Amino acid sequence: MAERSCLIVEDSPMMRQLLVFALARVKNLRVTEADDGVDGLRKLASARYDIIITDINMPIMDGLKLVKRVRSDPAHKETPIVVITTEGSSEDRQRALDLGANAYITKPIQAPQVIATVKNLLKID
Amino acid sequence: MSSEKKGRARSDRPPIELKKERDAFLQNFFRKGAQLTSEVLEENRRLRKKIAEIEADNARLRAHVASDDAIRELLKKIEGLETEKQELLSRFLEAEEASSRAVDQYAEIEGELANLANLYVASAQLHASLDLRTTVQRIKELLNQLVGARSFAIYLASDDQRSIEAVAAEAVPVSHRSFAPREDGVLAEVLATGVARIEKGELGDGSFENPLAVVPLTIEGKTFGLIVVFATLPHKTRFLPVDFELFHLLGGQAGKALISAKLFADAEKRMPDLSGLVEAGI
Repeated sequence: MAERSCLIVEDSPMMRQLLVFALARVKNLRVTEADDGVDGLRKLASARYDIIITDINMPIMDGLKLVKRVRSDPAHKETPIVVITTEGSSEDRQRALDLGANAYITKPIQAPQVIATVKNLLKID
Repeated sequence: MSSEKKGRARSDRPPIELKKERDAFLQNFFRKGAQLTSEVLEENRRLRKKIAEIEADNARLRAHVASDDAIRELLKKIEGLETEKQELLSRFLEAEEASSRAVDQYAEIEGELANLANLYVASAQLHASLDLRTTVQRIKELLNQLVGARSFAIYLASDDQRSIEAVAAEAVPVSHRSFAPREDGVLAEVLATGVARIEKGELGDGSFENPLAVVPLTIEGKTFGLIVVFATLPHKTRFLPVDFELFHLLGGQAGKALISAKLFADAEKRMPDLSGLVEAGI
């Protein structure tokens, strides 16, 4: 199976590590980490990714702005985006989906849910 | 002589009546013979016909018997196939049960792995920094993002353990950031015993008087603070087994991480002289 790539955009090192641990269970998936939206855009400018997972609340550039920027870039227009939200922030979640995000995961994140969402969007069995 | 011959010839000749009688007898004999022959022939024909009918019946009966045998054979085969089908169904059900058990076990192992990953990440992140602010931030993240706590505080106790003060808090009013816990309350109890009190059932609306979880911060057997969860996120309706593990880990490791960070800050983030470690035989 061809290697796939995933960009995680998350300011919390703990959340990043949890996501990396969870995604290590998806075969042939290479994971790259970014600290915030700006770092995420920088990494997107230099490489193509098959899927992006981003937190909403981040300093410098939040997840919503990142989703908007990614969707306006023809190179990443079709890249699936998963946003991570907290249970109370249904408005943020809806806004992210309206901006073009494909799915959302609610904190506290559960590894099986992360794996299932990524596999579903990448169409991996 | 000639008259003798004549007389004899006369006497040799049967009398007319006798001849007639003889002719009639013969005619009657032949007629009866012919009739008998005809009757025998008729009987023969009848018997042949009867034989033919019997043979036809016999053939029909033989065919019928053969057909019955074939049906019996087919029935036996159907019975055999039915038994085979039941065996296959039974084996299929067994295989299905085994498959279902394997799926359950797989899900259980997946869950265990996820829990272990959470515990590993929590432990690693608690000790990832010696910066006090970062350590406190990590404890807050852990409570919020792994446990699902919405309103919580990390308290340090005074030396006499009569009052507590929050070093970090989330959604906690000022009145509950520094106060003297009620002597008969759960906070004082946990400070005194060093044993955590965590809600095991459904998580209702927590209150400041009855928190959902109170975990002692301990080092070397001494309780010097508390982690208190007053309320959880709406979808967190009960603490899971992994949450109890996380609370246990926090009680043991968060205290050590905080003390280490504090000592490092007091030493103005200078590395201590480690040369004495060898002499101390460590």
